[in-house]
Amino acid sequence: MTGPARKEVVVSAAEAAARVSDGMTIIIGGFVTANHPMPVVRELIKRGAGDLTVIGSATAGLEIDLLIGAGCVRKLIAPYVGAELYAPIGNCYRAAAESGEIEIWECSEYILYAGLQARAMGQEFMAWRGGVGTSIPELNKDLVVFESPLGDGKEYLAVPAIGADWGFIHVGWADAYGNGQHVGARFGDRVLARAADRVAVCAERLVPNSYIRRNPVMTSIPYADLVIEAPFGSHPYAAHGFYAEDAEHIRAYVAASAAYRKGDRAAFRAYLDEWVTGPEDHDAYLEKVGVRRLLELEREYAGVSLGRHAPEGWPDGQF
Amino acid sequence: MTQTPWSWKEMMAIFFARQIEDGDTLCSGAHTEISFCAAMLAQKSHAPNLRLQLGGTGYLCNLAGREVIGGVPRTSVDYRIAQWAEAYFDHPETFIFYGPPGGGRRYYEDRAAFAGHNGYFFADHFFVGGIQVDYHGNVNLIGLGSDGGFTMRGPGSVGIGDVITVRNMFVFMTAHDPRRFVEKVDYISTMGPSGWREKQFPGNGPQWIVSPLGVFDFTGEGMTARLRGVFPGHTELQVAAATGFPVARSELFGDIEPPSPGELALLREQVDVNRVLSEGGGA
Repeated sequence: MTGPARKEVVVSAAEAAARVSDGMTIIIGGFVTANHPMPVVRELIKRGAGDLTVIGSATAGLEIDLLIGAGCVRKLIAPYVGAELYAPIGNCYRAAAESGEIEIWECSEYILYAGLQARAMGQEFMAWRGGVGTSIPELNKDLVVFESPLGDGKEYLAVPAIGADWGFIHVGWADAYGNGQHVGARFGDRVLARAADRVAVCAERLVPNSYIRRNPVMTSIPYADLVIEAPFGSHPYAAHGFYAEDAEHIRAYVAASAAYRKGDRAAFRAYLDEWVTGPEDHDAYLEKVGVRRLLELEREYAGVSLGRHAPEGWPDGQF
Repeated sequence: MTQTPWSWKEMMAIFFARQIEDGDTLCSGAHTEISFCAAMLAQKSHAPNLRLQLGGTGYLCNLAGREVIGGVPRTSVDYRIAQWAEAYFDHPETFIFYGPPGGGRRYYEDRAAFAGHNGYFFADHFFVGGIQVDYHGNVNLIGLGSDGGFTMRGPGSVGIGDVITVRNMFVFMTAHDPRRFVEKVDYISTMGPSGWREKQFPGNGPQWIVSPLGVFDFTGEGMTARLRGVFPGHTELQVAAATGFPVARSELFGDIEPPSPGELALLREQVDVNRVLSEGGGA
């Protein structure tokens, strides 16, 4: 059988980042120290993207902190920016919030999800009781407290729809047509993607369509507008099913950003030069990280990984 | 203050584990080694039917009879959590597990009516950290400052204001001083228990504040923070000096038992196998 061919959407990280213009709203997926589309984040900084509204995940990590430190962000929508034991609070985020350099759309996890969900459903707002009685609606005037129309006197928040021009999501693998499958936890990525007008997935592996069809239940991001193939594409953060986070690299970033917060920006600039603007592309970045380190990070997830270290008897593609 | 043969983190994890009953539901929330160890310890010691969402991954985990290889997960999204998982949901779906059986307040006021209830409902227990906590149990993760400005920006409220059906929130503070234990927090990420009643939330909200020095409850009139007990090696005077609001005894004030040799052995040999809680030494 022949007929017109389907459209393939594979691009480089640089090409994907070039779709973002200054002033746009973008979403970055993942969760704390896992599953962030880092090649795109680095390319955005390399291009000097600015004036962005950035929507982080419900527990956003230092990928957002990096964008703030690099001067790309005007407004932040995220209920947390940090990296738990590595950095309880993102340093650049903290500095920019304290100086007023960035505007923060104050929220909590489900206030964020409610806004994204409203957009995904084509509604103007979603009602949510969480956040009632807190400082959040005082700090964020977009949230409107209202009394239940059911007459029980209970207060709710009207959370207006939150949308984005582009959503960037890390997945385990994807085919050339834009069907992405997560391996391991999906976090909030499906809702994040649904609220974006256009979605690009950053995939650890580019796989044939037949591979996707073996288990369509796993397809978490169907019909992405762009697919970027990027092995170790979440480095220095972890990718479920593939490799652990690079603790040493993260600590070096945290040290550079801690100096930034205290007003000494030289170390942060050196970090950007070395790891973001320096390497020509993602392959050059990985070359700099080094094979030895990358293999070590893979081995850390050996035993639970579906990658080369999948233990015998573990069901393929089931989690 | 006297040296103890256990660390304050170990004492805190054991205290939490003791409050967890078999058959309870628990979401460990954002990662700390203390809350992770507490939940894992409870499941391995006396609560094998604890329904446990471990960390932010959305994995429901049961560790009863299962080995902890390589130590406690390093972050709340450590993929190694999957090795104990028997179910999974996306993080936003957490919120469709909020509704208590029976609806409304019944679950909280008549627990006997739901004895043996086996539906997964998030959550009986939830751990909440803070940069400040106050006399009324309000918790602040937003930051220090006033009128929308920040002299110190906090990490953000995460989901602690969203979990309005929680039966028992443990507010845990990893340091105890008058800057953290204040009369009134600068900003509120989640309200104290009287706020929850006033706003007619289904759940109870904060029921405990736990610090390296001791424990407060909210069982008294007005649901204000009262001292429930001090951890072995510490004194009431020490707690009073470190607290920025007046410290009065709870009606339930009493001794907090030190870790038993059995508790410590189980914690160290089968849960915290790489001994992350021992850092910092004795209390």
